[in-house]
Amino acid sequence: MFLRTSLYYQAFDGGVIPISVYAQIFPQLLEGAFVTIQLLILSAILGFLLSFLGGIGRLSRIDPIRWISGFFVEFLRGTSLLVQLFWLFYALPLLGIKLAPGLAGILALSLNYGAYGSEVVRGAIQSIPKGQTEAAIALNMTPRQQMWHVILPQAFRTMLPSFGNLFIELLKGTALVSLITIPDMTFEASAMRTNIEANTPEIFTLLLLMYFVIGYPLTLATRWLERRFSVGRL
Amino acid sequence: MRRLKRNRVGHLISKGSERVSEMTENNHVAVAEAPQSNQEQTEPIVRYRKVSKSFGDNQVLKEVDFDLYPGERVAVIGPSGSGKTTMARLLMTLEKPTSGTIEVDGRQLWHKEVKGKLVPADEKHLHEVRGDIGMVFQHFHLFPHMNILKNVSVAPIKVLGLSKEEAEERAKTMLDKVGMSDKLEAYPANLSGGQQQRVAIARALVMRPKVMLFDEPTSALDPELVGEVLDVIKEIAAEGEMAMMLITHEMSFARDVADRIVFFDEGRIIEQGRPEQIFTAPKTDRLQEFLKRFELNGSSS
Ligand SMILES: Nc1ncnc2c1ncn2[C@@H]1O[C@H](COP(=O)(O)OP(=O)(O)OP(=O)(O)O)[C@@H](O)[C@H]1O
Ligand SMILES: [Mg+2]
Repeated sequence: MFLRTSLYYQAFDGGVIPISVYAQIFPQLLEGAFVTIQLLILSAILGFLLSFLGGIGRLSRIDPIRWISGFFVEFLRGTSLLVQLFWLFYALPLLGIKLAPGLAGILALSLNYGAYGSEVVRGAIQSIPKGQTEAAIALNMTPRQQMWHVILPQAFRTMLPSFGNLFIELLKGTALVSLITIPDMTFEASAMRTNIEANTPEIFTLLLLMYFVIGYPLTLATRWLERRFSVGRL
Repeated sequence: MRRLKRNRVGHLISKGSERVSEMTENNHVAVAEAPQSNQEQTEPIVRYRKVSKSFGDNQVLKEVDFDLYPGERVAVIGPSGSGKTTMARLLMTLEKPTSGTIEVDGRQLWHKEVKGKLVPADEKHLHEVRGDIGMVFQHFHLFPHMNILKNVSVAPIKVLGLSKEEAEERAKTMLDKVGMSDKLEAYPANLSGGQQQRVAIARALVMRPKVMLFDEPTSALDPELVGEVLDVIKEIAAEGEMAMMLITHEMSFARDVADRIVFFDEGRIIEQGRPEQIFTAPKTDRLQEFLKRFELNGSSS
């Protein structure tokens, strides 16, 4: 209560021209934005790698690899991200493994979105006509070469739109980590709200705008990539 | 060249199956002429022994014995579903035989010898033996994300380990041979079917296989594009270096190009012999029936 009042009045005490409420909120949200972006980039990279690991694993000719990746993918897709986050942050330490909040956040995000991503990878690989693999075999390519030079470059083009969507989903998903004390953008907004409740509309309007400002370039970037990877297609 | 060809006929008759030896007078003369000194060359490059293949309950190949000799050109004809494609796919290792053995250049393809016993081949073994075989598919299967030059040079680089320069040089030579050297930068999607198939032929040739499989290379093409592809294949066949197995419904092409015609029906070789004999004096009812159907379809031109 006290903080709220002081902040509120401070805005008007600042000078002849009242400092805008937004100027008050923005720097603090911006601090959170850096945390959000860090989370986004790190979990995107890890999630991307996990997507390929899981997706290719589920198509492996080796049974145990297929079973294990299948189990992990289905389990992670079938349970809530929030609960996974809580499990890593609250339950795991009691089992003797204590993760820093940031690490727990990145791990939960990349595992969860990696599981969705691996379905994207699997679907895209399976969408490549069998004739492509057969042509590669006829040229005596090894299974690895078939995958690397023939299947994945084509499948990647198919994956891009879905990966673009997942990337934006991931950005939105990062908001959940505020619940395990990571000071991301949403955390900062919530913190400010408890302090200056009267400005709640401004805080959350600005928060929405800032998510959009981060997210929209991602959309544009995926479109650009899609165009770049569509060489040779009519 | 001429001598080689005569030898080939000789091998056919001395080593081929019984049906082959039931051939015309001329061929028996050829047997007498076949020089004994080249005996080591008489080993088949490919040898199918009692090869069977089933898909579920459907037995597609029934204990097929078939030999292909170095440099020999065999056309495989037969009704739809008779197992022609399956024969080729087993040799290309795209399908695994249910039973029987296939030898390539004296080595087991689907088996490998461990302590004197034949055990199923692993990927490494397949990789070693498969290098002798190349295949051209009905639907080309070019790599859509690579331009033409890359389509033809990727395997020489990655599989044969050639340098990029060497591989591209080789690729260009092959593309020149099939009349596609002006399209190096084009992508498959921008080519006609006939052009795509010619690139696919160059892509297979560039690996210098000892045996080339053609599975109905013109069946997916518009009629006006068939000729250009057949011409390219005829040209390659005339060089006479590779053994070729040509699965085709183009009877006049088979007659022109092949040293031997093999007629398949219901998973078995029903009749085989020299083109003249097969087309002018078919012995079995089934082959007569099959060829008659063909004339009715207007392929006599
Ligand atoms: N992968 C597969 N799974 C199940 N059945 C198959 C498979 N491949 C082929 N067959 C069956 O095997 C039989 C022989 O097929 P194949 O393609 O070898 O015939 P073909 O002589 O090449 O015929 P066509 O002239 O139509 O190409 C057919 O009945 C076909 O349905
Ligand atoms: Mg066929």
